[in-house]
Amino acid sequence: MNHVWVLLKPYRLRMAAAWGLMLLELAVELVLPVLMAKMIDDGIAAGEMNAILFWGSIMVGLSLFSFSAGITNSFIAARIGQNYGFDIRKKLIEKVQFFSFGQYGYFDTSTLITRMTNDVTQLQNAVFMSLRIMLRAPLMILFGTMMALFVHFKLASVLLITVPVMTIFMLFMMRKGAGMFQRVQLKLDRVNSVMRENLTGIRLIRAFVRSGHETARFERAGKALMENTIGVIRTFESIVPILMLVMNGGLLFILWFGFAELQSGTATTGEIVAVINYAARIIISLSILTFITLAFARGRASAARVNEVLMVKEEQHPAVTETYPAEGDLSLEEITFTYPGGKTPVLHLLSMNIKSGSMAAVLGETGSGKSALLSLIPRLYEPEKGRVAIGGRDISRMDVGLLRRHIGFVPQESHLFTGSIIDNIRWGKKNATDEEVMEAAQKAQIHETIVSLPDGYHTVIGQKGVTLSGGQKQRLSIARALVRQPDILLLDDSTSALDVKTEAALIEAITAQPCTVVIVTQKISTAEQADCIFIMEDGRIATSGTHGELARENGLYRRLLESQGRGGGIHEASGQ
Amino acid sequence: MKHPGNNRETKPQISNMSETLKRIGRYLLKRKGKLVLTMIMVALGSALALAGPFLTGKAIDDYMASGNERGLLLLLAGLALVYVSYSAVSFLQNYWMVEIAQQTVYELRDDLFRHFHTLPISFFDKRRHGELMSRVTNDIDNISSTLNSSIIQVASGLLTLTGSIVVMLYLSPLLTAVTLLIIPLMFGGMKWITSRTGPRFKEQQRHLGDLNGFIEEAISSRHIVKMFSREEDIIEEFMEKNERLREAGYLAQAYSGFIPKLMNVLNNAGFAVIALVGGVLALNGQATVGTIVIFTEYARQFTRPLNDLANQYNTMLSAVAGAERVFDIMDTDEAVDGKKGQTPLLSGEVVFDDVSFSYEEGKKTLSHVSFHALPGEMVALIGPTGSGKTTIMNLLVRFYEPDGGKILFDGIDSRDISGAALRSQMGFVLQDTVLFEGTMMENIRYGRLDATDEEVIEAARQANAHSFIERMPDGYHSMLKQDGSGISQGQRQLLAIARAILADPVLLILDEATSSIDTITELHIQEALGRLMKGRTSFVIAHRLNTIRRADQVIRLKNGGIQAIGSYEEVVAAAR
Repeated sequence: MNHVWVLLKPYRLRMAAAWGLMLLELAVELVLPVLMAKMIDDGIAAGEMNAILFWGSIMVGLSLFSFSAGITNSFIAARIGQNYGFDIRKKLIEKVQFFSFGQYGYFDTSTLITRMTNDVTQLQNAVFMSLRIMLRAPLMILFGTMMALFVHFKLASVLLITVPVMTIFMLFMMRKGAGMFQRVQLKLDRVNSVMRENLTGIRLIRAFVRSGHETARFERAGKALMENTIGVIRTFESIVPILMLVMNGGLLFILWFGFAELQSGTATTGEIVAVINYAARIIISLSILTFITLAFARGRASAARVNEVLMVKEEQHPAVTETYPAEGDLSLEEITFTYPGGKTPVLHLLSMNIKSGSMAAVLGETGSGKSALLSLIPRLYEPEKGRVAIGGRDISRMDVGLLRRHIGFVPQESHLFTGSIIDNIRWGKKNATDEEVMEAAQKAQIHETIVSLPDGYHTVIGQKGVTLSGGQKQRLSIARALVRQPDILLLDDSTSALDVKTEAALIEAITAQPCTVVIVTQKISTAEQADCIFIMEDGRIATSGTHGELARENGLYRRLLESQGRGGGIHEASGQ
Repeated sequence: MKHPGNNRETKPQISNMSETLKRIGRYLLKRKGKLVLTMIMVALGSALALAGPFLTGKAIDDYMASGNERGLLLLLAGLALVYVSYSAVSFLQNYWMVEIAQQTVYELRDDLFRHFHTLPISFFDKRRHGELMSRVTNDIDNISSTLNSSIIQVASGLLTLTGSIVVMLYLSPLLTAVTLLIIPLMFGGMKWITSRTGPRFKEQQRHLGDLNGFIEEAISSRHIVKMFSREEDIIEEFMEKNERLREAGYLAQAYSGFIPKLMNVLNNAGFAVIALVGGVLALNGQATVGTIVIFTEYARQFTRPLNDLANQYNTMLSAVAGAERVFDIMDTDEAVDGKKGQTPLLSGEVVFDDVSFSYEEGKKTLSHVSFHALPGEMVALIGPTGSGKTTIMNLLVRFYEPDGGKILFDGIDSRDISGAALRSQMGFVLQDTVLFEGTMMENIRYGRLDATDEEVIEAARQANAHSFIERMPDGYHSMLKQDGSGISQGQRQLLAIARAILADPVLLILDEATSSIDTITELHIQEALGRLMKGRTSFVIAHRLNTIRRADQVIRLKNGGIQAIGSYEEVVAAAR
């Protein structure tokens, strides 16, 4: 639990102040019945008007005093509650942002989202609740019992049995409830996850007319959530009637024995009234305690979930001993790699060397490990065996941020952000000038398209760039990588949606860049412009060479050529 | 990055509140039987709650003072009965209410989800997924927690209130008048408080949704964030939103924290005033001690429902804040879907008749496109990126409706055919491959839900997906994670093709279906696709000319218009 509750530490003083104010309020409430008894006995019974007025005005005055204490408490409690939630969310985002890729696999996106919003809200509520009434109810019960005992020990002794029994019962329920609420949150995750899949896949769902199927799936998730919620709420709601029964039984006891005491003259009417009054207040406090128990059980469940995220240990990296070299070949040496959670390695003892400033093309069958290879260079993943080196320096000994600053990466699926086009390109380099952005866009062959849009570079695109065509998205994400002026440019089959002419212009612009380029592609027309072509097969480099060499000597490459209507390696004007 | 789209000012609209409550009420009324039962229990409970203190006062006044043991015993027996039934009744009312509330929440969520599926695709283009998700989880959760308790509290509050007033009037009109003095005070206070909390609750939900949206986008873009070392920026932007949520939440919480405090002071002051006035009256012989006891007890019974009502009103404001965001979506217009239209069995003839379309005003994406595809023909769309190829597909499947011109299927205007009926006769491989959390088998079966395992495997074989699936640790039962991660982009396309093959449609739509697949594998799939296309009309977008060599018609698009149309030789070869 530590990670979550420890965040309350900075608020110790303010929490103490809130509780102090709550105690003041409570004190007033406890004193009132005593004052009333006093007024009845000294004033009414004795026929003293002055005593009545005196005690009466003290009671009114104290009430007003407790009001101002209450209001102040409310402000402080709200502040602490909100700050606490703010702090947890901050810790969570900081944690999650620096998860390694493997660690992201521990949690689904939708559960991370629930944990960062809904669960934090639950925790916030529990804290806010505790600052406003948590102490109040138990103390009210404690002092109420004590005061009742003080007024008339014998009559009030029944409270000594009922109150502890009920308290233990409640603590038991809190434990039990926390588990039930964890299940509720799990079901909420599920609802969230189905919803998210439906949003991401909306086109596909529409296309296949599967909204009925999806609705059924959502209904299952919703039903599970409903059933779990009903279960847990019912459990908690049944506490109150049980509690009322026990406590009211105590009240009967007081009345009955009060009668005996009154007859024998060992109790006054005022005393009996006071004890009954205290008992009534204890009953109310106990039922308030149920709500607190519920909020706490919920808080505990959410705390456990938040804690799971915060507990994830930062991955240990070897000490940073290398800096990024000014120049040098990019080499992968005997690399073996398995995706986290995967069972079979996707790369086996793979070795390759790419000359500084040259362009390398990687070709290979679907699933042969091309993307895996690229993802190791910016250290999105770490290899199991072997090393990646630049200019002979092991990249695992470099600062990750520094390494990535020198790399421009264009993923297979072009992923853009909600926002304007210029912002999206600037993602590559935060402080890029407008000129730099435009230059990158020009090289990526997207400048003219952008300019033709109504708002030009300030055109707003939706999440994942849905209002752009596939090729436009790809070129934007290339511009984003180019604007960094990287030393190493990695393109993961990111020109697939481009027409031949645009692609040729793009490759030309890229080769003019003073950087090492690794491009995964399916197209021979792209590959043949590379200085060196690597053919991948089952996680290994099967062969490498220039276009000419491979076309002469390599069977697989020739088959590739043929499959693209380029039999015998004879040049054929491509496309349009 | 700046994020427009959330600038919409939500001004407090009190008039909306009653409308929103009414709509929630309509959901509740669907479970009339249980609701009536619950209300009966509430009425009984309220009566019993009044009977308790009344009998207690009687016990003290009539029997204890006079020493009537037999009478007291009888009365206590009666009281015991009251207490037992009270517990039973309150158990039952909660038992039923939780079910009513959660079923309502379930239905609300379900209706929201269903409505999402009737909305036009363009609705989803510019909205953040996480923001929409927040409405299904966080906003509805707000309603959920309110419904669990509010209805009972409000009903029993009102009843108890009326009952208390009647009994108090009967006992002493003067003391009643004194007690009722707090009502105007309370109303004034409540008005002041809720005019502050209402709008802030809305704000809080809006910021929570905004934050949710941001988290979703940040986590689903994690590879880009990491690659470009933008973790700190994400955190920074997150913190801005976090801060806004904190501020809105702070004020909402602080002000709503006033309510119990206000009620508490009124409660205490009432207690004091009654004791004071009662004392004076008792001195003059106008009231008995018993009356004062009953009165203080009633004053509490009286302020408690008021207290509850006030608290509930406030909680309801927070629920209304959530509900309004839910109804906002439900009130968004559905897509024109030609629902009542015909559902003919299509032969595959498609005519585009002078079709124009623009996603955004001011920028024509398609202008005056006309072509005619005969049943069984393969139509290829080529042209530079952004020329309108995918847009034609989008119109064909009716994700969007044309601004001008008509699309005819077998001579029937597409607007007269239900979109679902149309799409159920089509098969698709869309540009962005979407896979769901689930097994390989389930993902392929998405193409035809009633397909047998054998049919699924056969489709996978034809799509060349069989061999890689077999190699997975659990074969066809290997689980794909959320976002379908765990397999390569090319493999995802193979699954999507298998899905389309399984669908066995009249019309086949392939938008860059093989772009990430190596060309050798593609050759194999082409055979399968060739077989599949036989006798069906198909529309194909591809940049690889090989893919479209067999096309009956090739349409070359440029800037949203048709540049050339004809056979492969006429359009492609002639352009060389």
